[in-house]
Amino acid sequence: MTEPLIEIANVSWRYKGSTADSLSDVSLTVPAGETLLLCGSSGSGKTSVIRLINGLIPHYYNGDFRGSVTVAGRNIAETELTDLAGTVGTVFQNPRSQFFSVDTDGEIVFGPENVGLPPEEIRRRKKQVTEEMHLSELLDRSLFELSGGEKQRIACASVAALLPEIILLDEPSSNLDWMAMENLREIIQLWKQQGKTVIVSEHRLWYLAGIIDRVLYLKKGKIAGEWSGVDFAKLSEEELQAMALRPTVADRKYAELFRDDPAENDETASPAEEAAEEDSIVLREYYFSYKKKPYIFRKHRFSEADGENLNLCIPKLVLPRGRVIAVVGRNGTGKSTFLRCLCGLEKDCTGVIEADGETYRGRKRIGFSYMVMQDVNHQLFTDSVEAEVLLSMKEKDSKRCLRILSRLGILPYKDVHPMALSGGQKQRVAIASAIAAGAELLLFDEPTSGLDYAHMVKVGKMLRELADSGSTVLVSTHDPELIALCCDTELVIRHGRAFYRAVPEIDANKN
Amino acid sequence: MRLDPRTKLFMVFVVSAIVMMSATTTFLWVVRIGVTMVPIVLLISEKHYASAFRFLVLYGVALALLFGLLSEKSEGLLSALLLGYCSIVVQFLPAMITAWYVVRTTKIGEFVSAMQRMHIPDGITISLAVVMRFFPTIREEYASIRDAMKMRGVMLGGGNAAKMIEFRMIPLLFSCVNIGDELSAAAITRGLGGKVKRTSATELAMRAPDWLMVAAFTAAAVVFVVCKYVL
Repeated sequence: MTEPLIEIANVSWRYKGSTADSLSDVSLTVPAGETLLLCGSSGSGKTSVIRLINGLIPHYYNGDFRGSVTVAGRNIAETELTDLAGTVGTVFQNPRSQFFSVDTDGEIVFGPENVGLPPEEIRRRKKQVTEEMHLSELLDRSLFELSGGEKQRIACASVAALLPEIILLDEPSSNLDWMAMENLREIIQLWKQQGKTVIVSEHRLWYLAGIIDRVLYLKKGKIAGEWSGVDFAKLSEEELQAMALRPTVADRKYAELFRDDPAENDETASPAEEAAEEDSIVLREYYFSYKKKPYIFRKHRFSEADGENLNLCIPKLVLPRGRVIAVVGRNGTGKSTFLRCLCGLEKDCTGVIEADGETYRGRKRIGFSYMVMQDVNHQLFTDSVEAEVLLSMKEKDSKRCLRILSRLGILPYKDVHPMALSGGQKQRVAIASAIAAGAELLLFDEPTSGLDYAHMVKVGKMLRELADSGSTVLVSTHDPELIALCCDTELVIRHGRAFYRAVPEIDANKN
Repeated sequence: MRLDPRTKLFMVFVVSAIVMMSATTTFLWVVRIGVTMVPIVLLISEKHYASAFRFLVLYGVALALLFGLLSEKSEGLLSALLLGYCSIVVQFLPAMITAWYVVRTTKIGEFVSAMQRMHIPDGITISLAVVMRFFPTIREEYASIRDAMKMRGVMLGGGNAAKMIEFRMIPLLFSCVNIGDELSAAAITRGLGGKVKRTSATELAMRAPDWLMVAAFTAAAVVFVVCKYVL
């Protein structure tokens, strides 16, 4: 057998300031041309393994490093990070923070420019990756106007332009929708065909089915399991759940949840206004467009007459109370527009909310509904959890505040700084402040993207509890597992129009 | 028409110098207005119609008011305010327009390449490029923080000015520091900061329009200096 391309020998690693080892005595070898999947729950050390191979550990992150890592014949500890650029390429989780340029062209050529290739060669490589990955329609665009999936494709291209032997992907699908994940799968397949060594660290597993050669399962910084790709696919759902992993196969029924055209040929789909109206929240005349018409004296009010120009067109929508409603649809079809309009963030959307015989218009809608954003860090303003919740109350009532905190299970943290909490706890703080503000309609913008199975289940349970205690929950998501776990019904948004659809029975152990 | 970034930088330099010297004769005014029209025409040629139109109207109105309505004999508060306003606009808008044109029409790749051709150290070039890249990021982050504040109804910080700033700045700093950290990790893995001399995919060349523009702006600068300080 030839020399392995990557050899990690007895490595232990602890981040500076941390009390536990992120990796303890990990050894693994990867032969050239293999496609390897790293799975395991959050904090199991997947990302640390990726960082060992691209050298960010120990060169960029500080901590306590023992053992040795050899990549393509080079000892990582003695190699300059920048010298690895042509050998190891990394696609990171968050496209927003891995771009160096503002425009797509500049991003693709950024790597080759850094390693000092001649201009003709850089242009040749740009042309090559553009053709291989079908990116021509994305060239010469601003990176800030691309969708999450398009950004991730550019990130892949900019890594591939350096022609690395080894490509690492660190939870690349976290911000992607169904279609974009299919696309990512194609890109990984392309790299596999080109004979590159690909290592993917991932929570969402189904889109990788069939292209993985070997799977490593990490638990608490140790390698706790190893399968061939074929054997891994044979694991039962119970076995996967015992390891807190998400399903490995996109069940056909799951795929059903994300099918694109529910309206025409689907008997379970029903127009959004037909649901029973008693004890429900009714939305009327939600029209919105990002293309603003110029006006002089009177602002143009969007109405149904604007037809195709509308990014959101919902004449009437009935939301049953006390339910968890999944909002699904492809990226860019108006899901987030819908949520933003619903909670009153888009001033130009003049729709009204009717509930209990009351009508909420304009700014009043903000009090009635509350959105928990995907990046929940933006929503936390004060220096303690208790202050955070009190901030939302018009009349400061610390007893009620404590009740809300204990209901959400964050009472022990009431004096902690919100930024010091974990992601899930921050989410709960944001929800607590929404409840404190008296919001009845809770909106969640992709609350489970980038979460492992156990955390996703937790979020699902929490959504369920919120609905059972009387709130109405709308959750936009790309996770079929979450829908199966906790949603009562599905609201499909397509070209800014809304349709209801029943959730197909998938999981017997739904509650 | 695409100009070389070096030409653009030269234009900014000359216009900035000219706006610091007041025009005293009709001839100098003509030169000044001529110099101002150049970036407006260039904006139109790069299809930035809206901003070109806005600048043109703003500059035109200020000029018309200054020469048509106001004179040394004007009296009253309104005239005083108008005079002050129009003078500032007429004096400094040319530099604004040129700077706007340069920022709007120069890609970061071109800018970096131009800096390299002028033998500016990579450290300075890269820092400037990062600053340019960070503006849109800060804008995005700030917009979502404002949304969050609106939803919480804390836009006015409960009437407390310090809180108003605190609520905006703390989350903004947190997310910018995080993004910056991830960004530099990502850049290093793609070879930024290596010992090899960076190259650039955009090859720049000074063409006829560039030389024409350089000549015209040099002439304008010479005219101003000669008329004001030599004659």
